[in-house]
Amino acid sequence: MKPLQKYLLKRVAAYIVTLYGAVTAVFFLFRLIPGNPIEAFIGQIMATQFTQAELARKLVEQYKAEFGLEGDLFTQYVNYMRQLLRGNFGVSLYGFPRSAQELIFQSLPWTIGLLGLSAVISWFFGVVLGALTAWKRESKVGAVLAGLAVVFSQIPYYIIAVTLVLVFSYMLGWLPATGAYNPSLSPGLNIQFILSVIKYGLLPALSLVLTQAFGWFLSTRYLTISLLGEDFLVYAEAKGIKQSRLFRRYVFRNILLPQTTGLGISLGFMIGGQIVLETIFAYPGMGYLFSRALGMLDYNLISGILILQSFVVLTANLILDLVYPLIDPRVKYHE
Amino acid sequence: MSRVRNSSKIIVSLKRVIGILGKNNKLKIGSSIFLALLVIGYISPFINRLRLGDKRPDALAVGRRWEQPSIKFPLGTDDYGRDIFGMLLIGTMYSLSIGLLAGAIATLIAVTIGFISGYKGGITDHVLRTFTDTLMVVPLWPIYMVIATYTRKLPLETVAILLGIFSWPGAARVIRAQVLSLRERAFVKLAKLNMLNDLEIVFTELLPNVAPYIVIGFINSAMGAIFAETGLRLIGIGPPLLPTLGYLLSITIGVGMLSVRPYVVAAVVAVLSLIFVSLNLINIGLEEEFNPRLKKVTGL
Amino acid sequence: MEKGTILEVKNLKVYYKTIAGDAKVVDDVTFSVYHGEIFGIAGESGCGKSTLVEGVYRIVKPPGYIAGGEVLFEGVDLLKLSEEEMRDIRWKKMAYIPQGAMSSLNPVLRVEEQMIDAILDHSNISKEEALEIAKKSLSELGLPEAVLRMYPHELSGGMKQRVIIATAYALRPDLIIADEPVTALDVVSTREVLQTLRELRDKYGATVMLVAHDMAVHAEIDDRLAVMYAGKVIEIGSVTDIFYDPLHPYTKGLIDSIPSIAKKKLIRGIPGIAPSPLNWPSGCRFHPRCPYARDICKAEEPELKEVKPGHLVACHLYGGD
Repeated sequence: MKPLQKYLLKRVAAYIVTLYGAVTAVFFLFRLIPGNPIEAFIGQIMATQFTQAELARKLVEQYKAEFGLEGDLFTQYVNYMRQLLRGNFGVSLYGFPRSAQELIFQSLPWTIGLLGLSAVISWFFGVVLGALTAWKRESKVGAVLAGLAVVFSQIPYYIIAVTLVLVFSYMLGWLPATGAYNPSLSPGLNIQFILSVIKYGLLPALSLVLTQAFGWFLSTRYLTISLLGEDFLVYAEAKGIKQSRLFRRYVFRNILLPQTTGLGISLGFMIGGQIVLETIFAYPGMGYLFSRALGMLDYNLISGILILQSFVVLTANLILDLVYPLIDPRVKYHE
Repeated sequence: MSRVRNSSKIIVSLKRVIGILGKNNKLKIGSSIFLALLVIGYISPFINRLRLGDKRPDALAVGRRWEQPSIKFPLGTDDYGRDIFGMLLIGTMYSLSIGLLAGAIATLIAVTIGFISGYKGGITDHVLRTFTDTLMVVPLWPIYMVIATYTRKLPLETVAILLGIFSWPGAARVIRAQVLSLRERAFVKLAKLNMLNDLEIVFTELLPNVAPYIVIGFINSAMGAIFAETGLRLIGIGPPLLPTLGYLLSITIGVGMLSVRPYVVAAVVAVLSLIFVSLNLINIGLEEEFNPRLKKVTGL
Repeated sequence: MEKGTILEVKNLKVYYKTIAGDAKVVDDVTFSVYHGEIFGIAGESGCGKSTLVEGVYRIVKPPGYIAGGEVLFEGVDLLKLSEEEMRDIRWKKMAYIPQGAMSSLNPVLRVEEQMIDAILDHSNISKEEALEIAKKSLSELGLPEAVLRMYPHELSGGMKQRVIIATAYALRPDLIIADEPVTALDVVSTREVLQTLRELRDKYGATVMLVAHDMAVHAEIDDRLAVMYAGKVIEIGSVTDIFYDPLHPYTKGLIDSIPSIAKKKLIRGIPGIAPSPLNWPSGCRFHPRCPYARDICKAEEPELKEVKPGHLVACHLYGGD
């Protein structure tokens, strides 16, 4: 077997094993926590949904059957796995009678949109500015930005969010403090709605971008500066190549590798939905959903989100591992 | 005879370290701010006793409700009559304590695992490394949140322990890498020839060289713990009534001070920012000292 | 300007700014290089050889700076040119092979790109033509065309070195400066590289300035060489002059330290340690280590004088005084 195939096999096998481990861990997590979350959950459905008592009873029966909750631990485990493979997380309490998976997938676009966009924008500005200002060694802009970056990159984004809300919502009244769009509008592909989405998304996005962009700026700056002393740069300069080519192919290309991997990794984590950020702004993404679910002890929603999150992070890492050797010629497929 | 030499070696390197620390601007500014915060935080119970007598600032009705800022209550009171300024002071102490404790636990675990993994090598290393890498990849904060939600009353120590347990993998990796690279160096082999046993080698030869990474790891874990606890308290997750800065932030915002008395919120934000900025300055200062090439990077 | 001189270095000074003052690494160096010869620069590590050629090629990096002198390349003083004009001369007329060629290739670019980017930036030649030139250069050095598509880490040390030489010679510059081109190579690769340099001179009439601390390399391919010590040139001559009739005591010491398979001889080192550029010794800088030192050696710096035709030396033992 060629080394490439061997590696692929090993890596995918590891992925499956880890995924399986994560899912099993979630299963046991809830059964080990004191207070029997599942019973409490069922009890809550019955208790709170008195307006739809019949529906509630039916769904609870269905739920018990699907997940084998009447049987022993082993039956429960088998059924749990079986439902997972079907993508069924069970019925939710928060959005009763809708299923957990329905709620989750409905919230995903908001999270991906907000966080994905912020991540990409921060990355882009941070990396390009970081490399350019470091390349021009005497750059004063670079020094100033670096100083700012040292301060801002580690201040938690939620503190910046609070400050932004203080200034722009309460003091100036320019931007709204909560929500993803104007509640009087109905979602649709029209200009009004889109503009509203942008308006409501500005503050949350800004909170993220400010911290993340400065973070990328600093790391890129470190990378570029350490690159400047390298032999191959001296040689390239000795060849008398144009400055622009020097920057593009010799400097930028070399910092691009680690920084794109970094981006991939941070995107994988973003699915956590930046719980605090979304909750502060009541932004209807997966993070907000998670905190609401916690507030109501909505067992299915909580575990569903945990599973999805593990899945996305592990998959993102797998893709990164498989793709990296394609972009970095020095790395081959091996252990 | 060699033991005497080894202990004096440690003293020499300690002296050198203190000498270096005095020169770096970032380190000086960062550590002064942080030290000031620590001191204020830990003498706060005494300050509050002077100001309020026997009452705790977060007890209900220490003052009247919604008091305006005055000499007695520099930041006023909230809708339960709790003294905001007093809570700011002890909040500093609670938040810093969580950070330092979590940092210590995380560092302890990271150092143990990192050293065993890097020094022993072989199967032990392989197993530990896979374990660490897996933990790094799976996001652990949601699990903390779940645990905090389902078990209502957690004391400060438990919170710190949990947070510490969740943040050790990163530091462990770095430490392991350092130990690995040092293990093959000549001075370690020399120590082995001098018939020092493994434990002695670890403490006298390896530890001083890995020390900077350990300290940086500690600071990172501490920052991460304060970050997590504050952020989650802000949205209501965590043991209720633990009077950290996160708690203070959540009640002031929750009660609507953003619009009515923004300066109160600003004060809490300022203290929190100072904590993070000072720790970060110390971190970067340390990194610059041990990797002087980085010194040109930032203006200060 | 003599006939046939391609490079004339006059009183070149390259200093390094340090907190303890200026380190005078290259301190008033004068020599000439003729067309079509291989000119060597020999000396211990730290005597200033590399800095000398960095000064000539004008790639001295801070805290180093050029403190004075002239570098006349084909009549033009390089030190007076602007960066743009200098960039114009680089690679077309004058090429540079740096020390540590192993790490001089960009790890993320293919060899072909690194070979032609200098060509492309210095002329209006199309990409296809440039590739052809690169292919030809490689084959002249005995490297297969397949090398072009490879990445640097896929090549051996000797191959990388030859790629660098091929790139240097792609535009047929008149002068090639090579800084320690064989220091890190094994014997076989060394032989190949030296052979290549010889061919560049014989077949294409190139002039090569070769910096090396290994006297054996100089003996092998130099036509003429200069010996440096403590920032100064202390002897210049043809390779036969230097090796069979070394005049300066330091040169004698260097030659004596070369092991020989043919003769049984006692290998002597040179006693003492190399001085620091922050604090060169007074008078003749070699006097603390010289077995023939006299009073005047401590007091006065000897001038570089032509003692025999084409053989110059800076030593108070010669030049009638």
